[in-house]
Amino acid sequence: MEETLLRISEVSKHFGGVYAVNGVSLDIKSGSIWGLVGPNGSGKTTLFNTVLGLFRPDEGTIYFDGRCISNLAPHEIYALGLVNAFQLPRLFPGLSVLDNMLVAARGHQGDRLLNSLFLRKSWQRQEAELADKAVEALELLQLEHLAFSQAGELSGGQRKLLEVGRGLMASPTLLLLDEPAAGVNPKLGRRIFEGIEDLRRKGLSFFIIEHRLEILFDFAHWVYVMDKGKIVVQGKPEEVVENPAFYQVYLGE
Amino acid sequence: MAVNWAQVLFNSAVTGSLYLIGAVGLTLTYGLSNFPNFAHAEFITLGAFVGYLVAETLGLGLVPALVVAFLFGGIVGILCYRGIFQPLAKRGATIIHLMVASIALGFILRYSIGALWGWSPLYFSTAWPSFDVGPLRVTALWLWLIFAAVSLALIMHFVLVKTKIGRAIRATSSNPELALASGINIDRVILITWFIGAGLAATAGIFRSAGTQIWPMTGWDIILPIFAVVILGGIGNFYGSIAAAFIIGLAENLGVVALMALGLSTEYRIAIAFLILIITLIVRPQGLAMLFRRA
Amino acid sequence: MDPLVYVLDLVVFIGIFSIVSLSLNLEFGFAGLANFGKVAFVLVGAYTYAILSQIGIPFYLCLIAGASISAIVGFLVSLPTLKLRADYLAIVFLTVGEILRLIVKSEDWIGGGVWGMTVSPAISLAGISARIDTLVNIGLVYFCLFICFLVVQLLTNSPYGRVIRAIREDEVAAEALGKDRAKYRGQMLALGSAIAGLGGGLYAQYLQFIDPYMFMPMLTFTVWIMVLLGGPANNWGALLGAGLVMLFDRGANVAKDYVTLAIDPSNLQYIMFGALIILVLLYRPQGLLRESQVKTKAMEIVRRGRDAVKNK
Repeated sequence: MEETLLRISEVSKHFGGVYAVNGVSLDIKSGSIWGLVGPNGSGKTTLFNTVLGLFRPDEGTIYFDGRCISNLAPHEIYALGLVNAFQLPRLFPGLSVLDNMLVAARGHQGDRLLNSLFLRKSWQRQEAELADKAVEALELLQLEHLAFSQAGELSGGQRKLLEVGRGLMASPTLLLLDEPAAGVNPKLGRRIFEGIEDLRRKGLSFFIIEHRLEILFDFAHWVYVMDKGKIVVQGKPEEVVENPAFYQVYLGE
Repeated sequence: MAVNWAQVLFNSAVTGSLYLIGAVGLTLTYGLSNFPNFAHAEFITLGAFVGYLVAETLGLGLVPALVVAFLFGGIVGILCYRGIFQPLAKRGATIIHLMVASIALGFILRYSIGALWGWSPLYFSTAWPSFDVGPLRVTALWLWLIFAAVSLALIMHFVLVKTKIGRAIRATSSNPELALASGINIDRVILITWFIGAGLAATAGIFRSAGTQIWPMTGWDIILPIFAVVILGGIGNFYGSIAAAFIIGLAENLGVVALMALGLSTEYRIAIAFLILIITLIVRPQGLAMLFRRA
Repeated sequence: MDPLVYVLDLVVFIGIFSIVSLSLNLEFGFAGLANFGKVAFVLVGAYTYAILSQIGIPFYLCLIAGASISAIVGFLVSLPTLKLRADYLAIVFLTVGEILRLIVKSEDWIGGGVWGMTVSPAISLAGISARIDTLVNIGLVYFCLFICFLVVQLLTNSPYGRVIRAIREDEVAAEALGKDRAKYRGQMLALGSAIAGLGGGLYAQYLQFIDPYMFMPMLTFTVWIMVLLGGPANNWGALLGAGLVMLFDRGANVAKDYVTLAIDPSNLQYIMFGALIILVLLYRPQGLLRESQVKTKAMEIVRRGRDAVKNK
């Protein structure tokens, strides 16, 4: 059953006089992998940040699960199950890999002051379940052996993986990934996408910015092409690659 | 109670002038090095004592005292930056570490001054008799102070807009990476800023104490309103700090009138600066900066 | 003075300052909040205790009231700065410390103004020696210290502790991961201030006298040295730091009776404190004890899983 998860309606965001996102409308439905591509500076990351509440849209509205989220704070949007993995990993360098994973959990009872002091039983089981889940995700990402290392000590590629893993920990409904395969070797990049496909079969939906089109197009069900703040082409990957406008975006000038 | 409003306005100009000279250095180093230097208070105190040494102990008068205090303060500023803050920043110290270090430096300077000159108040021997100008009661010191602040504003404006180093300071303050990329020697810019900033603080110390007293807390006594000026003006924003200095000067003097009318201690005047600080943070944390483009 | 009482007196001071040091460690070490006005909350606790005990309220209620009022003040003061950078919070808290001291200094009706006020001790038994009296105080102070230590240990070794550390490391990322940083920071400052207020109440009742000059900014920075030296984000470090700094402080006080220096020893002591902070920040910013890890069930589970793999 496909339903619209995320609806972006006529959204614009400008900085000074420059429109980074200009009247973008698009729908993301559940159960699929959705791609967002476009040249550098076309407004992809700005669009993501606007959806996540890090920027407030200047015009337009954003709906998630039928609810308007344009005016919500980032942490409120997260609580609804719309979760993001940053393009440049923003880990907590002084915390262990395990803690970086666990802190991303959504609705953890132990995150509350009084529970952590007086009702320690209330979250112990949840903590154990999350630990199992974290181990599972770390195994998928081949980070399990680093569980107790500080995140600040990881290599660039490992940070990237941990950022994705952290997104998984939230049990999101929709996961936004900003270039999950950038900066890791091609083999690992493909493995990450295979992992994404596995999770999709389990019911997760993805909206992914990716420059490695050769990988993305093998997995995505629908691709939006963005240029100069607007959606210029959209369709199934095999249709998009046939579209002359798509080549114009990348080759034109 | 009859209030001489002209006098209140004049006093505000005097207070504002002092805060401006005290705050310029703080706001510039804050904007450039990205942390508030709490030892700025002790740069002010140090200037007062060096001024005392030159003017009284050596008997050379106030003008040489101002010059020597400016140069000495500036050199101390550079040494502190080079010896403490730069090494800390290079080792990846956080803003909190830098703030704590500046407080620690303040203690070292304050108690060294206490050890050298003692904790009992000292006085400059020059008397500043007051005389009447129309409805105003003024002293020559106050007129000099206003003159100094106006000159400072004009000179700094000229330096920031017209000279190469001034443009470099503004560029570095608004975007260090870009400044570095465009070939500006950031290290030199920062050193010059610390020199000017600490030097000005030192002269503020003399202006502050020439008509009152000097003791190791001289700078600390006025550091809170100076911080309010910096925040209200927008961190690193010179023009903002001019406006903010006079706004806070005015608010304090009006506040003193109000406190006296209410029968409260006039020591609460620092609470007025604090109130403005809090209101700024709630309403407009970036201060007046947006009203004045650049530096 | 009886040398034993002198030593016991030092033990009481270490206990009181350990409590305050734990509170700053919670705010700065774990949550990354630069509370430069710690002394304000010690002051609130002390004056609340002094005033309430004067009208005959039992000591434990006075202590609780001091902690509670301190928590409220801490929370209110933090409100304008919770979403701003660390430096704004530092400036505001520093200023609050100065203004509260100014208030108790100017308003004679609060606590006797500059003349201060005498405070009745928490537990006074008729006809006991100074030794026993100090021992009773040690019991009271270390009981409170134990409670505070338990609270901060439970809190920092829980998912909550993980969240506040994450906010310290990167507030924007934490916000994007669904953590309301303003809420957590407000809670930390309220709790930290409550603990400091408790310390203040104990301080007042032990010294049996308070005046505004006991609450100078130097007190705040003595506590900062304790936390930085002992090891931020490590509760044992906060205790170690408190012990070392109080020993140094007391040692310097004793030494100055026997050694003649060219420089006034009280000035020298503060100069050395300042130099010590800078040296620690330069050469050992992690302090003597390293940051402790978040110890919860999750850690055991992962470790156990790993051993199971190894043993296969």
